[in-house]
Amino acid sequence: MADQHDVETTGHQWDSEEGYPLKEFNNPLPRWWLYSFYATVIWAVVYWVLYPAWPMLDGYTKGMLGWSMHQEFAQDSKAALAQKKASNDRLEKLSLKEIARDNSLLQHAMSGGKAIFGDFCAPCHGSGGVGVKAGGFPTLADDDWLFGGDLDTIYETIDKGRDGAMPAHLQGAGGAFSEAQVNDLTEYVLSLSKRSQDAAAAQRGDQLFHGEAGCNGCHGDLGNGSIKGTVAGSPAPPVGAPNLTDAVWLYGSDPAVVRASIAKGRTGHMPAWGSGAKETGKRLTPLQIKQLALYVHGLGGGQ
Amino acid sequence: MGQQANQTLFYDYDVVKKFSIAAVIYAIVGFLVGVFLALELAFPDLNTTLPYLSFGRLRPLHTSAVIFAFGGSVLFATSYYVVQRTCKTQLFSRFLSNLTFWGWNLVVVLVVITYPLGITQGKEYAEPIWPIDLLITVVWVAYFINFVGTLARRKDPHIYVANWFYLAFIIAVAMLHIVNNLAIPVNLTDSYPLFSGVQDAMIQWWYGHNAVGFFLTAGFLGLMYYFVPKQAERPVYSYRLSVVHFWALSFMYIWAGPHHLHYTALPDWASTLGATFSIMLLLPSWGGMINGIMTLSGAWHKLRTDPVLRFFIVSLSFYGMSTFEGPMMSIKSVNALSHYTDWTIGHVHSGTLGWVAMVSFGALYHMVPKLWGVTIYSTRLINLHFWLSTVGVVIYIVAMWISGIMQGLMWRAYDSFGNLSYSFAETVAAMHPYYLIRAVGGIVFLLGALLMAYNLAMTVRGGSRQTQAVAR
Repeated sequence: MADQHDVETTGHQWDSEEGYPLKEFNNPLPRWWLYSFYATVIWAVVYWVLYPAWPMLDGYTKGMLGWSMHQEFAQDSKAALAQKKASNDRLEKLSLKEIARDNSLLQHAMSGGKAIFGDFCAPCHGSGGVGVKAGGFPTLADDDWLFGGDLDTIYETIDKGRDGAMPAHLQGAGGAFSEAQVNDLTEYVLSLSKRSQDAAAAQRGDQLFHGEAGCNGCHGDLGNGSIKGTVAGSPAPPVGAPNLTDAVWLYGSDPAVVRASIAKGRTGHMPAWGSGAKETGKRLTPLQIKQLALYVHGLGGGQ
Repeated sequence: MGQQANQTLFYDYDVVKKFSIAAVIYAIVGFLVGVFLALELAFPDLNTTLPYLSFGRLRPLHTSAVIFAFGGSVLFATSYYVVQRTCKTQLFSRFLSNLTFWGWNLVVVLVVITYPLGITQGKEYAEPIWPIDLLITVVWVAYFINFVGTLARRKDPHIYVANWFYLAFIIAVAMLHIVNNLAIPVNLTDSYPLFSGVQDAMIQWWYGHNAVGFFLTAGFLGLMYYFVPKQAERPVYSYRLSVVHFWALSFMYIWAGPHHLHYTALPDWASTLGATFSIMLLLPSWGGMINGIMTLSGAWHKLRTDPVLRFFIVSLSFYGMSTFEGPMMSIKSVNALSHYTDWTIGHVHSGTLGWVAMVSFGALYHMVPKLWGVTIYSTRLINLHFWLSTVGVVIYIVAMWISGIMQGLMWRAYDSFGNLSYSFAETVAAMHPYYLIRAVGGIVFLLGALLMAYNLAMTVRGGSRQTQAVAR
């Protein structure tokens, strides 16, 4: 750059009444600045020659490369689908059990399932399927299942959705039992996981559980849920009633939470994503649901 | 100069003082809302269940408060100050001066009421509904007449460079505001835009980018061209450079808008023009930085003792950095990574906090004591403010660079099977620490602004309200 001390000012002066007057040196344009500016202009012109650039009366200049955004997108999509096509075709053809036996195909399915799970399932079931107690969203990473943890049942759950309905029992909340009776029921349910502190109340609750309240009709005679339980020798109905004898609690293990479930009831809803959904709700294809089922099955609790 | 003045003329500082006070207040309000929004992103529960506090409603309040309330007040104050002093004449009309002050503040009040209620027209940086748009137009026309009228009464045939930039800013903003808000009202709060679909999007970003170009760049370059040489007590480095970069900047900027719409329904050719003109804009933008920084050559030692000059030099450095970053981000392949990520937020804030706010702080520290005819209350506090601002901006933009680039890379990461490696929720979770760091940067910057408010208030308290400069 030129040494500005050799340069004259333009001779004009402003605002000279107070403080230093405004003046301007007449330095030439810095060479590096000027040449860099020319370089950007040349770059732009080259770009215009190569790519779509200027609108004309009829259409626009297409550019020598013949590039277009839509074409690039179409090519990339095609390449991405082609990469997956062979594996996807096999996924569609084979049964879930067959896929599970083919390790490399299973890896492919799990990868796709993970991506789908992150967008569609994780908002309720948590990242990695760890569950969200406050909302009653079950953990998918353990072996405690409400409707079953084998591949085909998981597929069915995703495809058609599930509804769980625990009725209310307290008078005034829609039920027929007094505060004391609800307390007794709570005490009995806690005793199933060895947490009762009042044996007499648990005893009274036992009577209600297997009698007037009829809890065993869904939770089973031993209170061990609709998967494992039996009612008078027959399997419990497949209604998704949780196992009350273990340490896994859908809405939380706190006695107050357990009591609230008994008093006011609970409704759980797993939406249908495939064939069980209304037309607008069919957001996942059978291929995607297959991948999801394999992914969920592989989270740790698959049976 | 040597002649005796035959009449004594007083500069009209009343409106300049009022806008200066408004600028300081709006700076603090705008920064405060910004800090709250930063915390909302880090801790979403702060959104509460009140719609008025939700991010979507407060975000436009923040952008409007800092750009138009704070930035606008700084531009009104300094342009009214500079045009009088460089034209050696009073403002054209006291009535128009007051109309612009009260009108502009009425706009701000209406915005503060309507945005939280969700009453907007949903255009970024142009959210006010049509009645407010009309009020803005009236204020702006008054501003234009007042400014040009003052220029016309100048006592010197030559118009100083700062005034070219101010005038370009006023004219371009009028044009942008009017075209982008062409709409058919259907009732008091609703209207339909005249353009639709991608054309409306293009008009919106033609407006949006030139709001940056002419409001936050040309306007504040006008400010820079007065206050930097005045504070450095050196002549502007190059008159020729100022002419060339002024016209190049004005011509190039107006084309750059389409780079906000890469890979959308916008046709390829418009995208190309937006990107190439953005690249060609780099050196014209840098002309202002060169002229500002080189004005200090021969006076570098003053940086050791003058914190106001430090504000100017650092603001010009941030200006140079963000006007380099912007053209890079406008290249389609870079934009494919940066678009929709926090990188954009970091880029904007290096320009607005680093350049606009810091050059404004410098101007206020220079101007306020002169307006009230007093000396500054504390130079040490200015120095502390300088360091808080600089550190705050750096924390902010570094956090957003890391967060933004990480976010962009996570979005596009595929595993060996061709499936996305990360869900959207995972990318959000990964950004949490950077959101926290960003909020810290914002808080530090806000603390600096609070120091400035205290320092300037104490300065004015020590001053006399009757002081008026004499133009001869």
